[in-house]
Amino acid sequence: MIVVIVIIVLVVLVLGWLMYTYNRLVRLRNETDQGFSGIDIQLKRRADLIPNLVESVKAYAAHESGLFEELAQARASTLSAQGVAGAADAAGKTGAALGRLFAVAEAYPQLRASENFKRLQDELTDTEDKIAAARRYYNTVVQAYNTGQQTFPASVVAGTFGFSPREFFRIDDDGDRAPVAVSV
Amino acid sequence: MTLQQQIRANRVRTTFVLFGFAILVGIFTAAVYFAFQPGVAGFIGIIAIVYGIVSWFAAGAMIAAASGAHKVTKEQQPELYRALENVGIAAGLAKTPDLYMIDDPSPNAFAAGRDPDHAYVAVTTGLAKMMDKRELEGVLAHEVSHIRNRDVRLMSLAAVLVGVIALASDLLMRITIFGGGSDEREGGLGAVGVIVGLVAAVLAPVGATLLQMSLSRRREYLADASAVEITGDAEGLAMALAALRDDTQPLHTVTRATAHLYIESPLRDHKGLRSSLGGMFDTHPPLEDRIAVLEKMGGFTLPAPASQPATAQ
Repeated sequence: MIVVIVIIVLVVLVLGWLMYTYNRLVRLRNETDQGFSGIDIQLKRRADLIPNLVESVKAYAAHESGLFEELAQARASTLSAQGVAGAADAAGKTGAALGRLFAVAEAYPQLRASENFKRLQDELTDTEDKIAAARRYYNTVVQAYNTGQQTFPASVVAGTFGFSPREFFRIDDDGDRAPVAVSV
Repeated sequence: MTLQQQIRANRVRTTFVLFGFAILVGIFTAAVYFAFQPGVAGFIGIIAIVYGIVSWFAAGAMIAAASGAHKVTKEQQPELYRALENVGIAAGLAKTPDLYMIDDPSPNAFAAGRDPDHAYVAVTTGLAKMMDKRELEGVLAHEVSHIRNRDVRLMSLAAVLVGVIALASDLLMRITIFGGGSDEREGGLGAVGVIVGLVAAVLAPVGATLLQMSLSRRREYLADASAVEITGDAEGLAMALAALRDDTQPLHTVTRATAHLYIESPLRDHKGLRSSLGGMFDTHPPLEDRIAVLEKMGGFTLPAPASQPATAQ
């Protein structure tokens, strides 16, 4: 009798733990998805600033057509990017191209003084801050999700139910930060 | 101690404090029940519950009114609002909290509201004027983590519970003093019961207040830790706390009831009491201790306070 009760209690405990661990992993996975879509929203917002920026710079430096082409491509790749790695890659390219755009703008005091350009620059700085914030949140959640899967005994649940680690959102290109530095 | 461990440790402590509240309410109810007729306990219970429910739902608006905070828009305070948006994004909040301002030169801030979707962060005009972006983000991240960690809910709950216990014991006192004479038929146990009831009536609010204070003090360390997690900048928050420490202006519109909500204790006239009671009645841990924890976390040292010249770290 006692043996039966002990077995029942053990089974209930194990099932309860299984449910808790599974639900925790699902919650963390949803949070990483949410975190990534947070980054994506800001990246798209930044990409949408590009046409207006290009227009305002064109009025003063029409000959920089190579740069404008590069920006158009960066924008297109941001809008069509798939997955974390793709988005990070496009974000790196966009950041680098925008960095060059502001380096060019340095040479045109009239352009830098124009209200429209200043407003766009301000909005871009704000968007880059928000990208950084969204990345920080995403990477924190990914860290929690990955650690939650890799620690024993949760790793057994993660393996059985096919949870897999997510990649961090890393932008290799230093050009990503350039516009912020130039705008000071 | 790492950030995660600290957060976990604080959660455990908070659970203990909530248990303490539950036990306190239980003892109080039992004392009333045995000391008086069940009818009296029921009467006090119903009034206390109604009072509790009403103040729970009105908490956010009541706090704003009591502290003189009014809502501001993004257009009115673009920089501050943007900083709050960024901190909200980094914290993973679904919605940016509303921004409220208090017209007061003393720098301080608090968060209120029943849940993350109906929460607001209030800062004084003094704080907005005094702090740079890094420091502001530190303060806002501290307040946003109060919202995200559901501290704001817990603190509102604590305030309501303290209010309920205070009201119940007040009622009990009145009934004992003015209505006690007619209850002679209780017999020999009656006198002992009345004494037990009176002791409970006196001790319950004191105990409840102590619990509220310690709850709020633990929460400050936890909110500091999560703020660093949000901004990734322990030094920014430490600098903000140092600025609060070095400021000596008291906040004008503040009461004991709202004191525990602020990032730093807005009541500065109780230094004597603090030293004699070992800080038991403080709503906040000393800023020095909080800065020291942040220094350990971030591996930096802030210049010592005013007495020493500020040297580059």
